Amino acid sequence: MIKRHENYRELVLRLAKTDFKLRYHGSALGYLWAILKPLLMFTVLNFVFSSLFNFRNSGTPYYPLELITAILLFQFFSEGTTSGMNSLVSKAQLVTKIYVPRWTIVLGSTVNALFVFCMNLIVLAVFLVAYSKLPSLLGVVMFLVYSMLLYVLIVSFSLITAPLFVRFRDLSMIWEILLSVLMYAAPIVYPLSMIPEKFRHLVLINPLSFIIHFAKQALISNDFTKFSHFAILFLGVASIATVSFLIFKKSERSVAELI
Amino acid sequence: MTSKENNKEILNAIEVKNISKKFTIPHDKVSTLKGAFVNLFKKNNSEIFYALSDVSFEIKKGEFFGIIGRNGSGKSTLLKILAGIYRPNKGVVKINGRISPFLELGIGFNPELSGRDNVYLNATVLGLTKKEIDRKFDSIVAFSELERFIDQKLKNYSSGMNVRLAFSVAIHANRDILLMDEVLAVGDANFQSKCLAEFAHYKEMGKTVVLVTHDISTVQRYCDRAMLVRNGRIEMIGNPEEVGNEYIYQNMSDEEKRIYSEEKRKINQAEEDLASLKGQALENELKRIEDEKIKLEEEKKNKIAEITEVKFLDKDGKEKNVFETGEDITIRVYFKKRKNIDKLNFGIALFNQENNCIFGTNTFINKINTSQMLKNGFFNINYKGVSLRTNSYYIQAGIWGDIVTVNYDFLSKSKIFKVFTKDQNIGIININHSWN
Repeated sequence: MIKRHENYRELVLRLAKTDFKLRYHGSALGYLWAILKPLLMFTVLNFVFSSLFNFRNSGTPYYPLELITAILLFQFFSEGTTSGMNSLVSKAQLVTKIYVPRWTIVLGSTVNALFVFCMNLIVLAVFLVAYSKLPSLLGVVMFLVYSMLLYVLIVSFSLITAPLFVRFRDLSMIWEILLSVLMYAAPIVYPLSMIPEKFRHLVLINPLSFIIHFAKQALISNDFTKFSHFAILFLGVASIATVSFLIFKKSERSVAELI
Repeated sequence: MTSKENNKEILNAIEVKNISKKFTIPHDKVSTLKGAFVNLFKKNNSEIFYALSDVSFEIKKGEFFGIIGRNGSGKSTLLKILAGIYRPNKGVVKINGRISPFLELGIGFNPELSGRDNVYLNATVLGLTKKEIDRKFDSIVAFSELERFIDQKLKNYSSGMNVRLAFSVAIHANRDILLMDEVLAVGDANFQSKCLAEFAHYKEMGKTVVLVTHDISTVQRYCDRAMLVRNGRIEMIGNPEEVGNEYIYQNMSDEEKRIYSEEKRKINQAEEDLASLKGQALENELKRIEDEKIKLEEEKKNKIAEITEVKFLDKDGKEKNVFETGEDITIRVYFKKRKNIDKLNFGIALFNQENNCIFGTNTFINKINTSQMLKNGFFNINYKGVSLRTNSYYIQAGIWGDIVTVNYDFLSKSKIFKVFTKDQNIGIININHSWN
């Protein structure tokens, strides 16, 4: 195939930077908004579930810490997938008036969510210090590994849905609803231990739940999953990524005509 | 690969072999999942349209290649395939060298960002690395003459400033093969001349340029070779002079057909409108038409003379609506007279699209005896070797009594003919000239 564009890495980063600037510039609080959103969500949920429903006494002494960790991971997922899905449509000019590899457009939009997530890790560090809970080195490493796997999931999902969204514009509405369902299907506001023993593995089949649960376990409780389970997750994510890339290769061909 | 094949490949910048591109046009476009679900149970209503069928050509390195054709002929689809935006359904495209993959200026420009950020964004999209942009940044800004405004947001720029900045980035993209859609040639006269100077500069540097336009004079002035595309096929390829002339001839005959079908469509529409009415509405409409007829008849009775039809004829007496500069045109006006009079004054005036009266005269001014015309029931005005240039022309025809002020009938700008000009001179009329 003909090479029409060479420096993919810079293109992806430039697109992400632009998105980031556009999103948080014009407002007075600027970049602070990126941090403020999960904090506000944390405050509300923490009040409702910790004080009103008393989840704190359900065998999870660090409930607020687990909550903020889960919220940050879920925010990462929901923002990444939403902007990834919208990427081709919102940057239609890059699809119809020029040739750049289309995956760079999708990737660029998700990198923006990755930026925000990385900034939010500072918030998480502050929380850990405030609760004087220092994680083990292995815990931090595993947390980062899970975050990367989550990012791979976000990109795979975006590669599948971005060309689909070009055809079906109601997909964004459907996804918005599904996201709020997913938020309560995954152990975010409640600890997994509150689910009856026999249903737990059902919850964990969802890779999002698996990642969120074990990421916060690793970071906060220094508790790790069995290697075989982790291997299954890893292979699962890898195969989802491969399949999504193959699907994208096929579906991006007609994107310029349909947009 | 043998050295001979190798050599051939280096000579050609672009090779296109047997390219076809089809589009499926659904009759009602489905853009929601719900719609797609509902459509599962419906018969599939879509049309297949071939934008390009079996197109092959080659463009040599360092060549200025023009592609011309009417709107919808497939030339933009072809350009999009060369740029890699569309994939052909059949055939291969081979490109040797770095190609500029854009069809529009300022892709990715965002009004909320500063000029500086937009330069970086646009240049990255065009394929420049950050290092290259850093190096060329001053030169980009200097060429656009926007030094003072470069850190202002783009939304505060005028549209002219916007285009200047975009163009400046584009010419710094430094590619071997440039694709240029006619959009690159918009803007004020000053900007256009800058564009054209840049074209000449590219020619000097030995770059390959593919120019898509429907402006024949640009192609004839700048291109080494040209290609005429029509209905998705290559009609002609070769010398720009000949290709341009072929395009003009095609336009003339196409224009004739278009005017004819437009008139036919209007009549059909009126008949359909009538057929779609029912009951009371139909009766009302029929009554209204009847009333109008009676009214018209009465008006006619009061008219002493009335224009019934206008025709444009060429030198052989054949009816035409499109002419070439230098042709003879005869305008024939049919009329009826209702009272026995022996003197009438006939007049004809020509207007161009900009509503300027080009030429007007009448038989009274020219001191013509009209008695023969009165017997014939029509009069002709013959323009010899008309010096009008490309434009649409309206005619005004009038019949007066002996004195110009008594108006019997007057036909205002209802009938149009078109003129096409083959040469590359400019202006609204041709003036016979010589040089020494």
